[in-house]
Amino acid sequence: MLRVENLESGYGPMQVLWQPSLEVKKGTITSLLGPNGVGKSTLLRTVLGSVEPWGGEITYEEMNVTRLPTHKKVDMGITLVPEGKHLFVGMTVQENLIMGAYRKEALKHKDETLELVYSLFPVLKERGKQAAGSLSGGEQQMVTIGRALMTKPKLIMLDEPSQGLAPKLVGEVFETIEKLNTEIGLTILLVEQNAEACLKSADHVYIMHEGRIKAEGPADEIAESSDIREAYLGI
Amino acid sequence: MTGYVDFGYVAFMGVGTYGMALGITRLVHFKGLGIGLIIIGLCLAMVMSTLLALAVGAVALRLRGAYFAIATIGVNEGFRYLIEGAKIWNGSEGIIFMGQMNEAFGDEVASALSTFWADVLVVIIAALAAFVTLHYMRSKIGYALTALREDEDAAKVMGINVTKFKIIAFITSAIFAGLLGAAAWAIKTPYVFPPEVFEIHYTVEAIIIVLLGGAGTLLGPVVGGLIYGISKYFLAIILPGFQLLIFAPIIIIIIVLFPEGTIGMLKNRVRGTALERYIV
Repeated sequence: MLRVENLESGYGPMQVLWQPSLEVKKGTITSLLGPNGVGKSTLLRTVLGSVEPWGGEITYEEMNVTRLPTHKKVDMGITLVPEGKHLFVGMTVQENLIMGAYRKEALKHKDETLELVYSLFPVLKERGKQAAGSLSGGEQQMVTIGRALMTKPKLIMLDEPSQGLAPKLVGEVFETIEKLNTEIGLTILLVEQNAEACLKSADHVYIMHEGRIKAEGPADEIAESSDIREAYLGI
Repeated sequence: MTGYVDFGYVAFMGVGTYGMALGITRLVHFKGLGIGLIIIGLCLAMVMSTLLALAVGAVALRLRGAYFAIATIGVNEGFRYLIEGAKIWNGSEGIIFMGQMNEAFGDEVASALSTFWADVLVVIIAALAAFVTLHYMRSKIGYALTALREDEDAAKVMGINVTKFKIIAFITSAIFAGLLGAAAWAIKTPYVFPPEVFEIHYTVEAIIIVLLGGAGTLLGPVVGGLIYGISKYFLAIILPGFQLLIFAPIIIIIIVLFPEGTIGMLKNRVRGTALERYIV
């Protein structure tokens, strides 16, 4: 569904991505693992276009989308749940969610998608009229994911969704991600530092280090390879 | 409405005054234009401020938040020295077009224009600005601008073309600044001197007014303007010369205690009640 080949990008004069390549197959959970500051978030941002690619190629559903502006990519069904909770804190939960349905296509299906989000996260329906800023960390993360769902994506990229959450909530977030995959049939590209939990949920895993892909394979193989675990994941 | 503070605002007003001044002085020889000359001047003011907005925006809008504000401070001074140094449009001598006004409209009409009609025009422009803002707020543009103001990264992943909406907001603001310059300054005085029309002071006043009233609201600037105007007037009577000294701490207090301004505060109070619809 998504293919990234020899991608290069960075900020100002600093190159962050040194030609990583990866593929996300339709209907799978693909995970990108690695420690802090190796370019995982940059890769997601470059795929979506909020960071400009310097070189390489991004193919989405057999179309070259390397230079497409972000909003066009969102129209095509790619979305990103950014790192940290980028919520509109002054608005209510429901307003936040509806903001997600900005593009024309998404707006048409606004009510159905909202129902879907509420069925996934019943707690958000209860809190619909509350200011998003007053929610707990875990609930805010649900709103961010819910808002991304409102864009009617086919591919959803999540940037460290478990970051800063209590251990109990981390499990819940991963359950949610699996649900998105099995129940709604979304394809997922998941960036994480929490390797342990990720290896359980993902189908295929890529390991990133210093802007390059260092290893890849089915999640269970990576989980069993003690070399890889020790060298890159520290577990 | 984007949460971007434009310290170059006055530059657009300045360019607007030049638009009007140039329109009148260059076209005064075409007889029979009559009051159409003013309309041409207003159009020129709009076109010129739009062009400046495009030029400035292409560079400055790539910057975010505070960096944008810093970059725009220079626009105003830079443009003023460009006009003075390169002797564009008479350079530092400015343009005095009292004579041309009288020639074009006759003495009586010209004086009515600068005393009465200029003020009427300002009110019309303000009403127009309010109308456009209201229209933006109630449409998809407002929705996009709100997202942009609250969290630019989130706006991007929602599929909002942030560059487009920043440019729309920037140009809209520039056009109204240009019109205001043309009406409130050019027609009223009627002369244009670079150091006076590119006075950064006005931008600062405008920002104070917005802060007092509440940024991102429609009524905010109106209420802020009233508070500012009235208190400035009375301060000038009670403690002449000390207005600015007193205003500075007041502004700091407001920013700390009521960062959302008068209207922002009211809005929070009435949230969920029937009044909510009227506080915009």
